[in-house]
Amino acid sequence: MARRYDSSTTTFSPEGRLHQVEYAIEAINNAGTCIGILAKDGIVMASEKRVTSGLLAPSKSSEKTYKISQHVACNVAGLTADANILIDQARLRAGRYEYQYCEPIPVEQLVELVCNYKQAYTQYGGLRPFGVAFLFAGYDEHYGFQLYQSDPSGNYSGWKATVIGSNNQAGKSLLKNEYGSSSSSEEEEEEKEGEMKVEGAATEEISMPDVKGALRLAVKVLNKTMDASASSSEKMELYVMSLENGQVVHKILNKEEAQKVIDEVEAEATPAGET
Amino acid sequence: MSILEYNGAAIIAMTGKNCVGIACDTRLGAQAQTVSCDFRKVFQFNKSFVGLAGLATDVQTMNNLLTFRKNLYELREEREMTPRVLSNLLSNLLYEKRFGPYFIEPVVAGLDENNEPFLSGMDLIGAPVYTDDFVVSGTATGNMYGMCETLYKKDMEVEELFETLSQALLASVDRDALSGWGATVHIVTKDGVISRELKARMD
Repeated sequence: MARRYDSSTTTFSPEGRLHQVEYAIEAINNAGTCIGILAKDGIVMASEKRVTSGLLAPSKSSEKTYKISQHVACNVAGLTADANILIDQARLRAGRYEYQYCEPIPVEQLVELVCNYKQAYTQYGGLRPFGVAFLFAGYDEHYGFQLYQSDPSGNYSGWKATVIGSNNQAGKSLLKNEYGSSSSSEEEEEEKEGEMKVEGAATEEISMPDVKGALRLAVKVLNKTMDASASSSEKMELYVMSLENGQVVHKILNKEEAQKVIDEVEAEATPAGET
Repeated sequence: MSILEYNGAAIIAMTGKNCVGIACDTRLGAQAQTVSCDFRKVFQFNKSFVGLAGLATDVQTMNNLLTFRKNLYELREEREMTPRVLSNLLSNLLYEKRFGPYFIEPVVAGLDENNEPFLSGMDLIGAPVYTDDFVVSGTATGNMYGMCETLYKKDMEVEELFETLSQALLASVDRDALSGWGATVHIVTKDGVISRELKARMD
């Protein structure tokens, strides 16, 4: 019965669903995983690189992470061609706001502008929706570091930690248990008053990890969601946004730095496993 | 008085040996009345400098517009804009307003991708001129052309270029009522930018 109502974006089904939008979301569930984690002093975004051929000529610096402006970056899951359009839009809107007000665009406003653009393709024109989900990481002086997820419907929400792309449910459930627990940060162990260090225990108050802890957590989650059994720095892209001298710094970890984090995660895992 | 002379300005850019220098006065006036003595007209874009002489509101607007376009370029192309490209962009932006122009006469100075000096000057509708010695713009161009022609030598080192630029600018603006009231000089080399404030006649 759904078939009659699923070929047009602009028609509701009798159950009140927009099938084209849902199918677009399905397309993203086949794409490389992207994980975003909010830390005390920054944001970490880890993604699975799905480079299909060694013959591919290197073009841009990344297939997953894109800088939108000095203070906002995003990770992409889905149809790259669709993503390019939206990223260009985001860059233009951020640039125009800064041109008009001589200050950086508040992160949520940028996300909402991109999402409103996406929403138009679910309501007018008879065009299909964009098959892309984004993780936006940004910093502004009003709300500090923020992480947003947006999907083809034009919906967006702010997160402390989230996953998009393939196996995102597995990733999200792992994050739910691990994020904010004392095992994800070394420094916060001293801050916790009278709490026993129990791995994976649900705490009443979610305490944010620092960037180093967030990186390790991201790699841990990515290990779980990736198809390949062995994790390597070639398949992962680790991006960190942080503040240095009041300026936002974007950094994609190079091979050595990424490998270091992967090794740290592996070392953490082995004592808990078999001897 | 022409609209280009309403606020007053003086800008000189010169090439040296593997370096370029650009200097500007810092006066902002409303015809005869001086309003500010720290209104800078030279703006940095990585290894290039753009000097904007003319109506102050257009100076500020063009600076914002160029910043916007430079940022967009860097995001899309993942590399820095060379001075030649910046000059072409500026020329294009000005011609877009051919029949309602921005009242500015800009100057572009910088080091290109091979660290070779680059200079260009433009009129208010974007007609460029490329030179290998110096370009001037503003309300004291007559004075500045004379000073530059006399004092300029090829292949000056950084310190000598600084001296030449400074003397040429100071002498020119002292004979012009609409420019002066302070001066700033920037010298660009492959190792970085040296910026200095000049002690000028504050009249």
